[in-house]
Amino acid sequence: MIKYWRLMILIVCLLGSILAIGFKIYPYGREGVEITYISLESPARNMLEQGMIITHINGQQVINVEEWQRLSGDLSGTIEITANAKPYTFSINDTIGIDVMDIERTNMEFGLDIRGGTRIILKPTENATAEVIDEVISTLQTRANIYGLREMRFYSIRGLDGNYYLQIEAAGVSKDIVDELLSRQGSFEAKVSKPVILEGDQGTIVLGDKSYSVSLSSDDSIQIETVDDKIELSDTFILKGIDFQYLNATEDGIMLLATTYTGKDIELVYSDPQRSGIRPFGEGYSFYFAILVSNDGAQRFADVTSGIPKHIDLVSGEEYIDSQIFLFIDGSLVSQLNIGSSLGGHVYNSPQIQGSRETLEEATEEKFRMQTILRSGALPTTLETSSIDIISPTLGAGFFQSAAIAALFGGAVIVIITFIRYRKIKVSVPLVLIGLSEVVIIMGIAATNDMYIWGIVMLVNLAIILTAWWKKEPIDFFAWAGALLIPILGMMSWTIDLPAIGGIIAAIGTGVDHQIIIADETIAGRKKEDENQAIFDVKDRIKKAFFIIFGAAATTIAAMVPLMSLGIGLVRGFAITTVVGVLVGILITRPAYAKIIERVVKR
Amino acid sequence: MMNIFFKNYKPFIAIPIILLIVSLGILVNNYAQNGEWFARSIELRGGTLITIALENPVDIASVQSELSPEFGTLVIRELRGFSGYKLLIEADENIDSDSLIKKIEEGYPVTGFSVETMGPALGEAFWYQTQLAIILAFIMMGVIVFAIFRTLVPSAAVILAAMSDILVTLALMQVFGIELSLAGMAALLMLIGYSVDTDIMLTSKLLRTSGDIVDKLKNAIKTGLTMTLTTIGVLVVLIIFNISAVLTEIAVVLFIGLVIDIINTWLQNSVLLRWHCERKGIQ
Repeated sequence: MIKYWRLMILIVCLLGSILAIGFKIYPYGREGVEITYISLESPARNMLEQGMIITHINGQQVINVEEWQRLSGDLSGTIEITANAKPYTFSINDTIGIDVMDIERTNMEFGLDIRGGTRIILKPTENATAEVIDEVISTLQTRANIYGLREMRFYSIRGLDGNYYLQIEAAGVSKDIVDELLSRQGSFEAKVSKPVILEGDQGTIVLGDKSYSVSLSSDDSIQIETVDDKIELSDTFILKGIDFQYLNATEDGIMLLATTYTGKDIELVYSDPQRSGIRPFGEGYSFYFAILVSNDGAQRFADVTSGIPKHIDLVSGEEYIDSQIFLFIDGSLVSQLNIGSSLGGHVYNSPQIQGSRETLEEATEEKFRMQTILRSGALPTTLETSSIDIISPTLGAGFFQSAAIAALFGGAVIVIITFIRYRKIKVSVPLVLIGLSEVVIIMGIAATNDMYIWGIVMLVNLAIILTAWWKKEPIDFFAWAGALLIPILGMMSWTIDLPAIGGIIAAIGTGVDHQIIIADETIAGRKKEDENQAIFDVKDRIKKAFFIIFGAAATTIAAMVPLMSLGIGLVRGFAITTVVGVLVGILITRPAYAKIIERVVKR
Repeated sequence: MMNIFFKNYKPFIAIPIILLIVSLGILVNNYAQNGEWFARSIELRGGTLITIALENPVDIASVQSELSPEFGTLVIRELRGFSGYKLLIEADENIDSDSLIKKIEEGYPVTGFSVETMGPALGEAFWYQTQLAIILAFIMMGVIVFAIFRTLVPSAAVILAAMSDILVTLALMQVFGIELSLAGMAALLMLIGYSVDTDIMLTSKLLRTSGDIVDKLKNAIKTGLTMTLTTIGVLVVLIIFNISAVLTEIAVVLFIGLVIDIINTWLQNSVLLRWHCERKGIQ
């Protein structure tokens, strides 16, 4: 049994790959559709989120996208949607504004050219540094999150001409949405909460050098000096030129919300090392950066924060005032910050913003995000479109079916040609089956979220190869490399797009070539030799075949490795897939095929 | 014929050499006329390519005449395969693709579409990059081949064969009117791999085993032709099924390349190797 350890390793890798590709948990059942986009106008905005699984609409089961389109086509009035197993009710005036896609059935990530979507490459109009591109990406990412487009991918690409490009990929999203994302500037507002303490029903709102008396009625409405109308809950009013909103009545007073800055007031967000940075702080990292605000904005902030009590934060030991600043983009709350006690009531033109996160990466990301928000989403450079690819999903729809049929026919062609050559079905059928297993293993290696599966594969492989070694089977360096390296590669994942499929074809093509070399060396060689010599001879000849195979594989890998570092588009995915395929071939599948042929010849 | 080749092999090298010279002629002529060695596709020079999948075949001339008043002159081609019919429309990068697709949807049942727009600057960058890719791949391949055989003539013969494969394939693409695209570039990279596969097999068999050279060569030809024919068989399947434009393009270019590779491996590389063996007295 252990004599066939090479085949066992192949089978273990194959099973691991099948699991890596297909093993998936469906927490909300296998039937349903996944939300890809919720438009700003949608009544379901702020209730449903991208990535949720919709299973029912008005009690009717939604199985796939077609069903969804049929059911959601002419809805109006109050409807109920079951998403992530919870019911959500809302009423539709105009459009439901939700885009969906079928639930992914595999762990494969397929490229836009297969599943449809939009890919845009943008070029900054003036020469931009890597930092500027990162800033652009951060801005767009923030915008995309606000619009609920979390599946949108942004990459910076460095062309060989030294210029930086920005690549945006949005699967299942149309060009209009991407356009909107690029053109739309979020409207930014910073609001500060202002608690006002009442004694009985009376109190004073202090705004810098001015103060206004306020009285609370029994119906929770308030009356303020110089404001004529009675103010109900969540009404807005103006005091000293500042926009206020009446939030609620608390136990010992009332809570107001004042708009201190809008996008116009943020004149500059500093990102230079003198005025921004990250430093270790306690058990985490704190980030800080300064902003330059207009005189009006600084005055408003000072007015609103004057006369507010202070408290000491028990966690950080810092002193803050009893109000917070809330940052909004397009009316959605994106962040809230404490206000240091030294800022309260003072006019500062360049206040510092700080916060902390557990890891350096998180702190860096949060700093970027905050800076982006404060720039009110304005891009640091203008961009021009260099390339647009729009692929309708239907063009990709029939792909897998035709690909499977083509693979079947291709396999049949190889079986026929090799059968004509060798007249042995035991030679030609394994040749094709091993070729197909190579496709599965390459796909399994490319699959996402398969760390555990490949970890287990590695342990099982190790057990097999150690047992074989214990039983004194001939195990060379490449056997160890195959058993251990392939599972490590398995933990990688990359997108399967058309170039990658080209790479799979290239790898399988050379694989079949090499198997023919093995078959030819062993079978053709046997005829002339003395039967007694046959056993020794087979191993010797397989060795000869492997010299050729390793040579050919080395040239292919050497030719592909420099291409992996070339940035843009086609060549990279092609090169990675080919190299991985060739490695799987020489380390796992080719030795297994040699073992099969050895057995066929000995009989 | 085969017997003549095995007995008096040297004159046969004239065939691949003439092929290479004619191909270089085609490429040079192209350069003299257009300032380009070969025609590049939209993704390598800039422009818009609209692919429209249709249920039924259409008359290209009538589509042309319907579109030209609104959109000017367009290059329209048709692709047929088992998965349906596709119209390929080429235009400059500023065309209003949405309204063009709408216009076609009015007249014909459209089942899907794709639009690729490539700005000229980025197209140039791609072009530069892919050229570099081919050259790098070629150099690395040559280094490894030299490292394997460590003799000048056999290694040089392998590299010459791969180079001839690429140049003749590029020339034939011009003859058949196939523009070089990123997919075609991928096919040329694959061609280097396949070409080297058979050449290394041939060289190993002739130089590293003992026996009658004609027997060894016959053996190598059997193995090599089985290898190339299986690949060509699969490529024909890919071309017939026409799953996607990219894969079909790879298959067509590779098909041409492998047919050329048969000539270059067996009439050029094997002849050079035999001559080398006889001169050095290798048995």
